[in-house]
Amino acid sequence: MRDRQPGPAPEHPGAGIRRRGRAAAVAAAALAVLVTVGSCGTPSERRDQVTAQAVRFERALDAGRDGDLCAALAPSTLEEVEQSAKSRCAQAMGDEDLPHAGAVRNVDVYGDQARVVMEHDTLFLAHFPGGWKVTAAGCRPRPQQPYQCEIKGG
Amino acid sequence: MSGTGGTPAHREDTAPAAGRVRRFLRQNSLGLFFLVTFLLALAGQAVAGHARFNDELRGDGMAPISFGAYLTTSDFAVDVTENWQSEYLQFFLYIFATVWLLQRGSPESKELGKAGPESDEEQMTGAHARADSPRWAAAGDWRGLLYSRSLGLVMGAIFLLSWLAQSVTGVAAHNEEQLRGLEAPTSWAGYLSSADFWSRTLQNWQSELLAVASMAVLSIYLRQRGSPESKPVGASHDATGVEG
Repeated sequence: MRDRQPGPAPEHPGAGIRRRGRAAAVAAAALAVLVTVGSCGTPSERRDQVTAQAVRFERALDAGRDGDLCAALAPSTLEEVEQSAKSRCAQAMGDEDLPHAGAVRNVDVYGDQARVVMEHDTLFLAHFPGGWKVTAAGCRPRPQQPYQCEIKGG
Repeated sequence: MSGTGGTPAHREDTAPAAGRVRRFLRQNSLGLFFLVTFLLALAGQAVAGHARFNDELRGDGMAPISFGAYLTTSDFAVDVTENWQSEYLQFFLYIFATVWLLQRGSPESKELGKAGPESDEEQMTGAHARADSPRWAAAGDWRGLLYSRSLGLVMGAIFLLSWLAQSVTGVAAHNEEQLRGLEAPTSWAGYLSSADFWSRTLQNWQSELLAVASMAVLSIYLRQRGSPESKPVGASHDATGVEG
């Protein structure tokens, strides 16, 4: 939700309940505002941050800057890439056959998770203390199942 | 508070003030008790929910979040609102159902034969309003009609708003979980027909309805001395609409 673009006398027993009802409504409104605004930027700011990180990742991929690709990965994804390839990330990424994604078509951001759908690829990202990191790339949709991804966390 | 020093004039000022506070607390202890325990329970829920949420994040290789950040998550909001909506639904249904439905022997029911909205004389409305009746109770127009149903309507409105909030925060929480599992998010309309939304909704409704049914029936045979929710201890099991 953080990222979504929500002394009467005793003879009047209902009055107390109604007052509590109004207090609950005010609390709900305050909660909705708090949840909507969140602590890490407005929904559009977070969407822009996610898009920028996805574009940086794809530019590094196009330019063959494997070091930059590794720096953009989430810790568990980087670890999985190195373990699978039994080599350092930069070398392992050079051997990966990730598609050249093309233009961004759609961005979804919910809480600390995001999906960026591009012309020829889909990326998943998550928010870490250092910013948005790629948790999975080279992802293709499958009916009724999670995406099939070339690289992802363990 | 009194007798701890100060001038006599000062003591005269503070003693009545302290008395007023004590009187206020005594006369409003029911509402205050539940308000305070509500806040304590909400705080406890937030602490436990934060720990559970971070366990899940760590399990999925994500970074844990601070307590303050957790309070702004859809995960916390949906857990709060799904319970609120069911509580207000319970009160809304109970307030309206007890106008027409009766339960023989239950203090939660009106007397047998009194089903319905009752006469103006019994309800002290319109021409039968008294000097100390609420102003709108005497009104014979829409104000009287509205005020006569205001308790149920407000409860119903809060239920609908809470349920709406549950759906909005629920779809965000559900989609965050979907994305963490590398699955596609769903729309709000799609979420309204999802298993997650109805599972959260119905698990709360069933417990509220069971609690109301238990209260209506158990209070026929069981007593709680001194409680207005119970019949007097010596009242017969057949006595209906009698509160202790």
